[in-house]
This record gives sequence, structure tokens and C-alpha cells, in this order.
Amino acid sequence: MKDHTLRRVYGLFLVIFAILAVIAAYALRSLNRSVASTDWVNHANAVIYEAEGTFASLQAAEGALRTYLLTGDARDRTSSSEAYALLDEHLETLKALTRDEAAAQAHVERIEALLRARVGFAERVETARAASQTASVQALLGEDAGSTAVGEISREIERLVALQATLLTERDRQAFLQASTTRWVVGTGVAVNLVLFGVVAWIIRDDLQTRKKLAATLQASNELLEVKVKERTAELAATNSQLVAENRERRWANQALEHQLRYNQLIVDSVHDLVFVLTRALKVTRVNPATLRVSGREQAELLGRSLGTVLRWNATTPLDSFGANDPLAASLRDGRELRGQPAELLARDGRAIAVILSCVPLRDRDKVVGGVITLQLTPASSTPSAA
Amino acid sequence: MAGGFACLLGAQTVKAVSLPELENDPKMTPKRFANQFEGFEYEFFSYVQRPEVFLSSRRGDCDDYALLADRILSRRNFTTRIVRVVLAGRRVNHVVCYVAESKAYLDYNSRNYFLNLDRSGPTLREIAEKVAASFEANWSSASEFTYDYATDKKTIVYTVVKTEPPSRDPDRQPRAGGRN
Repeated sequence: MKDHTLRRVYGLFLVIFAILAVIAAYALRSLNRSVASTDWVNHANAVIYEAEGTFASLQAAEGALRTYLLTGDARDRTSSSEAYALLDEHLETLKALTRDEAAAQAHVERIEALLRARVGFAERVETARAASQTASVQALLGEDAGSTAVGEISREIERLVALQATLLTERDRQAFLQASTTRWVVGTGVAVNLVLFGVVAWIIRDDLQTRKKLAATLQASNELLEVKVKERTAELAATNSQLVAENRERRWANQALEHQLRYNQLIVDSVHDLVFVLTRALKVTRVNPATLRVSGREQAELLGRSLGTVLRWNATTPLDSFGANDPLAASLRDGRELRGQPAELLARDGRAIAVILSCVPLRDRDKVVGGVITLQLTPASSTPSAA
Repeated sequence: MAGGFACLLGAQTVKAVSLPELENDPKMTPKRFANQFEGFEYEFFSYVQRPEVFLSSRRGDCDDYALLADRILSRRNFTTRIVRVVLAGRRVNHVVCYVAESKAYLDYNSRNYFLNLDRSGPTLREIAEKVAASFEANWSSASEFTYDYATDKKTIVYTVVKTEPPSRDPDRQPRAGGRN
């Protein structure tokens, strides 16, 4: 995968994880708020429960008390005491539950004040009844007949319950809004993440397609290269075969040439006449065995030397006596054969051997490059003469 | 005790223990006390039963058990606290007896288990959380109170409200001469 693709994918995953982290944090916060909200709902219900329990206990206690006043039965007195104790329990719990809510606390304080008054009244009546002070009991009950205290307590409790209902409604609204916001945040986050995942998938797919294209191009290139290599190899093989054949032919030609050369050498060597091969400047390049035998010289003495050192026209005329008009020089310069010229070969031992000289110019494409001198021994050659 | 509560029970026939036996047992511990109530049955009473009645009938509810535990163990110099937990929504209260030395509370619902002491932190909030969790419920308030069998009177010492910050819990505030 290309580097920039990796960077883009990593970057997008980073963004995805960041969004997930934000969603998780928000969801956790929302969950905590939801738990707190549930606690508040439970709290409000507990307040309502305790308030209603308080009033129910008051009614139960006063009912039992009135029964006791009528019957004087200790069991009714006990029931009344238990109900007042339960009332106290409810009231204490109610006070604790509302100590942080000023509005509710105000209601509870009024309820408590009214209840204390009712409890005080009940204690006075109960005491009088226990002492069999019937007149006092009747007087106290008579005073209480027109009292609106219980109704007042009931109304105050209703107000407290209504307040809690209002709080419940408000907290429910907040919880609803919170849930809506949470749904929106989580939904948006999930949607964004899905889009980002889609983008990542698209990037990876695009990269894979590019890689496939590159691979296909590379494969095509390789195949083309392979074809070219095969073609070139075939060409080289053909060239090589041709070179081998040419080489073989050349070798055969060289062998034939060498064979011909040896053959010619044998011919030259087998000639009875004396043969000199010259350059155009009359330097000796080759001699045949007959020359060495007749002159008594070694081959090394002759090769590379001027022909004039071993040959002369006569005792008084060396080869270069005529300068540019020398017949031998002229023959080689003009390319004309020279035949039947009397001359003398100077042997090593000082003898001058009479010979008949012939010269044939050697040509290379119309250009004289040298010449072949043949010397025929004459009958007089057997007579030695001083050089 | 107002309201009802769920209790786990298993019927079992065991010799009834008497109040003097409990009060005079020199080896009395919270665990030993709880062991005596295995096989007791649950029956709700709106009032606190006399201990003798509770022990002889082998029937009762959470406050009968917790208040008796408080009476017996406090005489053996254990530091006990009676805790009432108000469970949310169910209009159910539950009473347990916390023993500071054991760092656990005695719960009537645990009487039939081998582990009949429920470990908990010492604050009312911790105890309430643990008790509410055993009911798979929330709680709204928890109160520590005292009870006198002679006068049949419960006196609330203090109450913790769940919605208040824990730092403001009354049992975490210094109390001159108070129980804590």
C-alpha cells in the first residue's frame, strides 16, 4: 500500500476512534445523568410516599385514639401509640428527604408544626382519659370539634405532593431532552463513523485497484520484454550461427590459402633457377634454396639486403650504375618484364657466377609492389672468375 | 415497620432457641447469632414482635431479627447499629443490624445462607447500596435508629438521602457524643 494511502487510512481511523471516544464519554456522562435523574425520580416518589404516610398515620392514630377515648381499651391506646410512632418515623424521614429543597422544606415545617399541635392535643386528651377526667376529655374534644387543623395538614401535604409532581414533570422533561440529545449525538457520531468507514473502504478499494492496474501493466511489460528478449536471443543465435559458419568458411579459406602458399613455396623451392623476391626498392625479401646453394650464402645474409650486394651486371658495372636508367629499376618502376639480361652473381667465396637475369614485376591492383628475379646459370657459370 | 420486603426462606426444623440462651451465651458472636436463625420463616408484622414470641414462633420479619441482634450483640460489647433502608419505587423498607467489629451487617434474608453476614463499609450510604443491590433495586434514603423494647419506640439518629452529595451525609460529619 502506498505511503500516502496508509497515512490517510491511519488518519481516518484516528478520527473514527476520536469520535468513538467522544461518543463513549458523552454516553457515559449521559448514563450518569440518567442514573442521577432516576435517583431524583425515586427521591420525589419517596417524598410523596412519606408525606402520604404521615397523613395516613395521623388519621390512623387519631382514629385509634378516639376509639380508646370511647372504650378505654388499652389495645386501642397501644394502636394509637404505634400509629403516632409511625407518624413520627414518616415525619423524620420526610424532613430528611426535603432538607435540601427550600420550597418543600417550608411545606414540611408547616406540616410538622400542625402535627406537633395535633400530637400535643392527643397527649392531653389521652392523659385526661387515662385519669378518667371525662369532663376534661369532653371539653378538649369540644374545642377540637371546629378545628380545621387536620384539613390544613391535608392541604399542606397536597401542596407538597403537587410540588413534587411539578419537580417530577420538570425532571422528566429534562430526562427526555437529555435522552433526545444523547440519541442525536450517538446517532450522528455513528453516522459520521459509518461515512468515515465508507471513505476508508473506498480508499483501500481505490488503492487495490491501482495496485491491480500497476500489476497488470507490469505483467504486460514483462511479457513484452520477454518477447523482445526471445526475439533478440533468436537474432543473436542466428548471428552466432552465421558467424560460426563464416568463421568456419574463413578457416577453410585460410587453410586453403596456407595450403596454396606451401604449394607455391614448394614450387619455388623446387625450381632449379635462382629466385629472388624483391621489394620495389630492390631489397631481398625471399630467396629459394637453389640461390643459397649456388651462392654459398646463408639466408640471413641475403634477406633485407639490397640486391646489388650479391648481383652485378658485370665486373665493372654494378646494378645501380645507370641510376634511374638502370634496366632493373626501370622494369620495376614501369611494370615491364625484363628478360635475358646477362649479369653476375657474387658468391660468398668471391666467385662471380654468370647468369641470365629475368625480372617479372609483382602487381597489387595495378601497382608494382616488387618483383621476382630469376637467374639462369649459363654454361660459363662453371668457370670461376674473381669478383 | 411500614411496608413489606422480600425474604429468602428455607423451611427447616431446628430446636427453638430461647432469649435467655442468647443473652447468656458467653461465646456469642454475630456469626453465632445468625446461625441460630437458620430455618426461621418469614412473616410480616406491622409492629415489632417481642423477642420471646419471635424466637418461639420462629416466624418474623427483618426488623424483628435486626432489633434482636442489636439487643443481644450490644450486650456482648459489639458496636451495633440498626439501619433502615428505604427502597425506591417499591414502598419497601428493609432493616439490618450493622456490626462494626465484623464490618458486616446481619440481614434476615441471609439467615439461611452459609455466609449469613453481609460485608459492607461502615457508612449508611455503603450499607444502603449493599442492601439495595441485594434487592436489585435503588434506594432513596437510609436511617440509623435506636429501638427500645420497653417503650416500643424507634428514634431516628440520622438519615442519609441518596440524592445528596456523599460528603454531606450526616454519618460522615463529626458528631459530639453521637454514635458513629
